[in-house]
Amino acid sequence: MKKIVAVTSCPTGIAHTYMASESLEEAAKKMDVQMKVETQGSVGVENELTDQDIKEADAVIIAADTNVSKDRFGGKYIVEVAVADAINDAEALINQALEGAESGKKSEVDSNLYSQVSDEKSKRKEKRTGAYKHLMTGVSFMLPFVVAGGLSIALSFVFGINAAEQEGSLAAALMQIGGNSAFALMVPILAGYIAFSIADRPGIAPGMIGGMLASSIGAGFLGGIIAGFLAGYITQWLKKTIKLPENLQGLMPILILPFLASLIVGLLMIYLIGPPVEGIMNGLESWLQGMTDANAVLLGLILGAMMAFDMGGPVNKAAYTFGVGLLGSEIYGPMAAIMAAGMTPPLGLALATVLFKNRFTRQEIEAGKPAWFMGISFITEGAIPFAAADPIRVIPSIMTGSAITGALSMLFGVGLRAPHGGIFVLPIPNVVTNLGFYALAIIAGTIVTAFMLRILKPKLEE
Amino acid sequence: MEVNEFINQNLIKMNLTSEDKDSVIKEMIEIMAENEIITDKEEVIKKAMEREEKGTTGVGKGVAIPHVKSSAVKRPAVAFGRSEKGIDYGSMDEKPSYLFFLITVPEESHDEHLKLLAKLSRNLIHDDFRNSLLEAKDEEEVMSVLENI
Repeated sequence: MKKIVAVTSCPTGIAHTYMASESLEEAAKKMDVQMKVETQGSVGVENELTDQDIKEADAVIIAADTNVSKDRFGGKYIVEVAVADAINDAEALINQALEGAESGKKSEVDSNLYSQVSDEKSKRKEKRTGAYKHLMTGVSFMLPFVVAGGLSIALSFVFGINAAEQEGSLAAALMQIGGNSAFALMVPILAGYIAFSIADRPGIAPGMIGGMLASSIGAGFLGGIIAGFLAGYITQWLKKTIKLPENLQGLMPILILPFLASLIVGLLMIYLIGPPVEGIMNGLESWLQGMTDANAVLLGLILGAMMAFDMGGPVNKAAYTFGVGLLGSEIYGPMAAIMAAGMTPPLGLALATVLFKNRFTRQEIEAGKPAWFMGISFITEGAIPFAAADPIRVIPSIMTGSAITGALSMLFGVGLRAPHGGIFVLPIPNVVTNLGFYALAIIAGTIVTAFMLRILKPKLEE
Repeated sequence: MEVNEFINQNLIKMNLTSEDKDSVIKEMIEIMAENEIITDKEEVIKKAMEREEKGTTGVGKGVAIPHVKSSAVKRPAVAFGRSEKGIDYGSMDEKPSYLFFLITVPEESHDEHLKLLAKLSRNLIHDDFRNSLLEAKDEEEVMSVLENI
């Protein structure tokens, strides 16, 4: 009789761990396979596998949503799956394990290497989501400054495009609030809160100082992002590395960390990182400012498609961060394209539910109504319920519509000074240039999205 | 430790009225609140939703077991609810769920409580157990099915 050993584990360790274990045991009984399952739940480890068990086993199944160490199972064929898979189809798992074992993939080196690689992969993945999280923390703290700054600058133009040059005027005051203060804080805040997300409070000072330097040496938001990460990880590293006697511990957060971390970040920014990033930013800025129509359209297409691709996910946020960052460099075109392209997915879907009722379920038609509102508010996430139900057809449709909107917005030379707000910021004077064409771009993308859906989505049977 | 220390007829609702996942979680948590098993309903709802985000507790075979471990829970308890129509719970097998077990445990729990919950979870894998819960006529019958695990 074949023997399999298994480990089951889940995050809370109350239910799934045991259901998976039971499911595996039941299936094994049916299939005439000997099975021993170790459960790693909230009670701790139960039914622990002994060395003897593992030695006798033909294969190993790990059904876990937590990290289960594979060190014990060197030399065995291991099937590693989510805990849910064991609950749902234990028989298939057992077959997979036995077939794998049969095929002879059990050399010591092989399985260890395999487990190392997959461990490494999952670690990297964790890091990736970590960095993304830190960046988004920075961006979310930065946004209010961009809103206040962008709208103040826009208001100053009410008095004429050069009114702010007249000292002592209200326009000059608005410019001082928006351009000289709020926008000046943008990059330091971004960097400071990226570092905060990584290293907690001690990260803020070195992060902001690094961000300020990025700003003043012309490395812009790209430099700010780098400064933020540098500051965060350096602070974190110093925290771990410097060991002080207990009675001096109090000096760490108040003296040593801020001073050392700021010094290191500052010097790196000035001598090592600042100059090349400044070059990149200058290149980017002059390319964006002197862009040909063809390039503008291409950039609009790409940014637009990115906005729709994952509707608020990392790709969308990458495009968005790019647009917001450029506001600090007084480049407003991409921001306009990005907001417009972020509005069309819910709008296009909403329109499609009105025009092509026979292609949507009743629930979806209901969901179309709030989608209008989310669309005009620039909440791209409003498209998610539709995309989740039918990703293969919905995502290409909304990407096409958004890409066209982005391209048109860039082609018409629309600029947007606010980083958010949907149509609600548009009536504020000078927030958007070429309002008429901007509306046209959004409407065009909305219609294209709706008709793409018409083409791709099949009629539903009643 | 007996099953009836976790669950009694007041914690059983034979006809859940909710039609979607979020409201059924809230409906079940409401039962816990009415029975004064939890101190902070909003906190428990938040925790339950967080758990769902990590991965659905709709384990398939028509069963969902939302669960919460929180300091807002006074004592370990199980609420049972049944939906005639079935509720789309985003289950692993993409089929509607009919049987709902909401499990709440305090942050610090005795092993014997957890072991009993583990036993309940194990039973849910068995067709007979699920069928008798589906066919039970009233709260009393549900209790007798549960007491026999």
